[in-house]
Amino acid sequence: MYDLIEGQLVSIAFIIFVLGLLYQGNQFFKLTRKKEWILPPLCGDMMPHRVPVVEKRVLIKTVVQYIIAGLASLKGTLWKTDPLMMIVTSVFHVCLILLPIFLLGHNILLDQSWGVSLWSLPEFFTDGLTIAVLICVAFFLMRRLFLARVRAITSFYDYFVLLIAVGPFLTGFLAYHQWFDYRIVMILHILAGELMLITIPFTKLGHMLFFFLYRFLIGSEYSFTRGSRTW
Amino acid sequence: MSNQEIKPIDTEKIKEMLNHQKGKMKRYLSFCSHCSLCAESCFLYRAHNKDPQYMPSYKIIQSLGKLYKKRGDVDRRFLIEIKGIVWRNCVLCGRCYCPIGIHVPSMIAFTRSICRSQDVYPQPDEVSSESWL
Repeated sequence: MYDLIEGQLVSIAFIIFVLGLLYQGNQFFKLTRKKEWILPPLCGDMMPHRVPVVEKRVLIKTVVQYIIAGLASLKGTLWKTDPLMMIVTSVFHVCLILLPIFLLGHNILLDQSWGVSLWSLPEFFTDGLTIAVLICVAFFLMRRLFLARVRAITSFYDYFVLLIAVGPFLTGFLAYHQWFDYRIVMILHILAGELMLITIPFTKLGHMLFFFLYRFLIGSEYSFTRGSRTW
Repeated sequence: MSNQEIKPIDTEKIKEMLNHQKGKMKRYLSFCSHCSLCAESCFLYRAHNKDPQYMPSYKIIQSLGKLYKKRGDVDRRFLIEIKGIVWRNCVLCGRCYCPIGIHVPSMIAFTRSICRSQDVYPQPDEVSSESWL
């Protein structure tokens, strides 16, 4: 059973993950049409004044300038309304991306399977990042339970998705420290990772892709760029 | 009883409207993280002592979200219930911010159009303990 979970199921999970994201992306581009929208982004005063039709390289340069300016100044961001949530969610999402990719254990497996791997972060560092993820998830859970405005829109589905998101990290932490039965915890870790991959394109975890599509391509007041697409 | 309450609901029309915008609306509803970060951006939420019923996400989940969940199989009483959400609790000012980029005003406006298609809209002579403002 371990060979099945570690072998074929991983491949199936990745295939569903990639195909699911491709399908969602394809649907998005089919449903949105290009349109010349000239809308000011958040830091409108940072934008040079241009004629309506913008060349691509100028637009890319402007977007980069905008992002740098936005990072340098937190004006008009969540820092004003919910700074703690902004910090926690940023830490959570950065660790969520870094950990699976630069974890030593994962890269060793990659090397054994395919002969290639990425460089890895030190183990004590990734252990610390995992604890950071677990603390962030605990914060999200507390928010869901105790903040009235979050509780008002929370259902069993939200707790379930939170469990899917934390599953790989919690089981990975337990496996690394060899708490409980290592073999069972490893099986749970792999299954949790596969479940997360499969559910990303079809649940609210799909904001992984749609955050970028909506905030960069759709024209709106809060668009990071001069979004040229519209539904 | 007003004329609104007598006329039957055309659920086929509602389903057709829901289906027409399904691609956009269902995706917006599906990818809403239920994070409530949109709350503070709504003037009505802040003016009503941070009542969660005025949160943009609450409004769309309880109106359009329920319409899609019920697949348009609703009765007039349901539309009259959500009428309050989409007209009283929102003025379509467009100030609502969503970190994922979900455009809430278009969803509220769409729900209003569904209500209007069934002759459900706020009546000037309705008795209500709350102001329409």
